[in-house]
Amino acid sequence: MAVDRTRLKRFPPVQRLWHLGLLVVFMILSVTGIAWMYFETPWGRGLAEQFGGFTGTLEIHRIAGLVMLAGFVLHLLYMLFKIDWKRFSQSLMGPDSLVFQWIDIKGFFAHLGWVFGLRKYPHFDRWSWWEKFDYWAVWWGLIIVGVTGLMLYNPVLTSDFMPGWLLNVALWVHRIEAVLAMGHIFTIHFTVEHWRPSAFPYNASMFDGSVDLEEARHEHPAWVERLEREGRLEGTLVPPPPVPLRILYFVFGYAIILLGLFLLVFAIANAALLTLF
Amino acid sequence: MSIGSTIICLLGALFMTSSAFGQAMDAPTDLAGTGYFRDQDTLPGSFRFYQQLPGGESGFWGMGPSRPNLRRSSFKIDAHDDVVYYSPEVRCQKCHEPQTKDLHYLRMGITCVQCHRGQPVAGVYQYYSPLNPIRRHAYVCAKCHEGATPSFASYMVHEPNPIASEAQGRFPLLYYAVWFMLILAGGVFVIFLPYTVFWWIRDLVAKLTRRPSHGS
Repeated sequence: MAVDRTRLKRFPPVQRLWHLGLLVVFMILSVTGIAWMYFETPWGRGLAEQFGGFTGTLEIHRIAGLVMLAGFVLHLLYMLFKIDWKRFSQSLMGPDSLVFQWIDIKGFFAHLGWVFGLRKYPHFDRWSWWEKFDYWAVWWGLIIVGVTGLMLYNPVLTSDFMPGWLLNVALWVHRIEAVLAMGHIFTIHFTVEHWRPSAFPYNASMFDGSVDLEEARHEHPAWVERLEREGRLEGTLVPPPPVPLRILYFVFGYAIILLGLFLLVFAIANAALLTLF
Repeated sequence: MSIGSTIICLLGALFMTSSAFGQAMDAPTDLAGTGYFRDQDTLPGSFRFYQQLPGGESGFWGMGPSRPNLRRSSFKIDAHDDVVYYSPEVRCQKCHEPQTKDLHYLRMGITCVQCHRGQPVAGVYQYYSPLNPIRRHAYVCAKCHEGATPSFASYMVHEPNPIASEAQGRFPLLYYAVWFMLILAGGVFVIFLPYTVFWWIRDLVAKLTRRPSHGS
């Protein structure tokens, strides 16, 4: 029986794995970090008790942080491996690259115009400006939160290499960047990827690695046209994933989304109880 | 222990003692703590030394914490001796409420006198005070933070509210770093939260009107 190859391959398995690993570790860090941040409130204390009180919570937070940094280092190696060094500039500035280009500035304003009904939907290639922004936001976030996190990992050792009062600064920077990252993921990222009417209720493309061809013609017309022009469209088409896998992606994805919403709602509800500044 | 190793130990001890006696101590040439606290560093009234200790105004182009106004009482054996209504029965928090807003006090439940010690409470720069910066790391911090050093002890336990203008003078780097991060985070939300809402509405309109929403 022939299977309908109606979907366009968008993410190879290794990139889906990066995203899966990143989100699992991110959620572990979020839960333990928020439990620690809200430790003076009954809600935060209750969260921390799930991990064996504050010592257990901090221990898990530290280990997960190291895992995330190790993942970042692996990602850097993967990136070096992916760059086509012989055709360096095309590799970096090509349409399949996530590097920001002039066209993304134009794409931003074109999209802005579409949102307010002034223009047609922009002619995005493989990556739209917000998809690139989401990718690089993890870089900037991970560098800020990772450097300060490493400093706070062992404060006594850190103060051998720099004045101890830098730990005051590191803790605040770590907190604010973490709140920014969680706030962005649990509101903007979830809405854009899953709750927009055209994506609702769930967009599994980062999990199954493919997007519907017709959807891609709307959302990324320049990409599909480029594949057609180069005669690569047929080779890029894949069948939909089997139903059990689709159920798994949905259940797993919504478990994570609900966990994020749980943290968001209770963090906002308890914000007034925070006793630190 | 065998006789041989005992002799070696005794000889070693003798050698070390004799070399210590044989050298004259040099007077300190910088103002950082030397550890010879009675004779060199901590003569009463040597205020300015403490303003230049590690964690003082010297670090990072003056961006580190500074102590612009050291109070006289910080050098007294009884910091409260001229406080008229002071009584050991009064809770510290009644007057020192701003000093109860930190991780040590709030989260770890450490009481004031665990670091500032019992009555009379000595000023932190008094020359025998356990919180005197020359021995703070060993006498106070190291009780919980094993291996604490003077650098570690320059962590500011009672840090100022980092967004208040007070912090700009007392701890400029904290003030500017926190404001930078707040503007970064605030900027992302101020721009992209409303944007996402408009985007959502536009997406709904495109779907409801059933026109080719994406201009293909």
